[in-house]
Amino acid sequence: MIMRVLLLFLGLAAMAMGQDDDIVWLDNYAEAVKTAKATGKPIFLEFRCEP
Amino acid sequence: MLSPKDSPLGKLLRQYVTVRIIRMDTIDIGLFEHDRNNTIYFYLLNADEQIYMRYGGRDNASPDTYLNIESLTLAAAKGLELHVNRPPAPPRPKPDFPKNYPLLVERTFARNQCVECHLIGDYQNLHRQQDGTLDKLVHLYRSPDLKTVGILLDVPKGLVLKEATGAAAAAGLQPGDRIAKWEGTEVWTFADVQHRYNETPRKAKEAKLTVERGGKMVDITMALPPQWWWAETKFRQSSVEPRFYFDDRPLTAAEKQEMGLPVEGFASRVKYVSSIARTMELHALQEGDVIAGIDGKRVDPDAHTGSLYLILRKSPGESAMLEVLRGGKKIEMPLKTIQMSFRK
Repeated sequence: MIMRVLLLFLGLAAMAMGQDDDIVWLDNYAEAVKTAKATGKPIFLEFRCEP
Repeated sequence: MLSPKDSPLGKLLRQYVTVRIIRMDTIDIGLFEHDRNNTIYFYLLNADEQIYMRYGGRDNASPDTYLNIESLTLAAAKGLELHVNRPPAPPRPKPDFPKNYPLLVERTFARNQCVECHLIGDYQNLHRQQDGTLDKLVHLYRSPDLKTVGILLDVPKGLVLKEATGAAAAAGLQPGDRIAKWEGTEVWTFADVQHRYNETPRKAKEAKLTVERGGKMVDITMALPPQWWWAETKFRQSSVEPRFYFDDRPLTAAEKQEMGLPVEGFASRVKYVSSIARTMELHALQEGDVIAGIDGKRVDPDAHTGSLYLILRKSPGESAMLEVLRGGKKIEMPLKTIQMSFRK
């Protein structure tokens, strides 16, 4: 249940991010590293199993 | 309505480069090394790929036992702090990639099928089995359960103890303590602790922790009980461990003495038998049976039940002869094991 809420949260966050340029969920790790180097931001990396 | 973007976690996430990976094909699984039977797992790191912390982890009871928005928010905030005041970077682990496992490539990549997370761990173990490098205590009993040593966390608060029992209480751990270091390494999340705990040699007799208590750091040496590394493995869908479809529990010392069995032995009582065992004609165990010995042995340095003895000492497909006590009588009972089918 908790994980479903968490996934819902992150899913909604992803949707919200799609509407808000402040946050973008990337789907490419190399691109995330490149962006982190360019911006100085840390990386929040999520591995999710979606069989 | 839930408003993630403006929530405390959402505000923190905006200060990160956020990335979600659902395909592991090109990921360095040497660097991002975790129990692949987690359905979701997070890393907080920098552009130099220095990992500040992990977040995630699970137990047999549920994949989300240790997942919580409050503790994830705490972790995200701490990650930003660590990004400013960077701790020394540990040596980078040896790179490793899913393509290094031929059976994984053959049965997933080559068929354009998804490389499911758990398959990586499963095929790593299959290759270890073939190479003769499989250490069952380490590789099958991945992610020892902290509750085994009596550490029960107040999950929303991260590493704050809700309760200390057993070995943890005996070592002096108290409710309200926050685990700050595990074997000298700073830890911030349950996943950090589980990762470090898993690195403990299986023959270790103790673990060293530092806890924050009332604003002070307190060093603790916790004696590890026998089979501290043992945990239920049923949530691992496919595994190289032999399957035999019964559950048992260790007999108490008093029960063993009453039956004339060695107290240090692995005698156990069967508490559940799956119909699969009967259908596949694996054995004829019944609930309530006592497994007194296997293949003429009653004692094993690592096993505390008959089922654990079978997992540790038998390969899938191997047979065994059980010494079973039922209704005051001794029965010699053959048993066959099988392996769960991997993707083929």
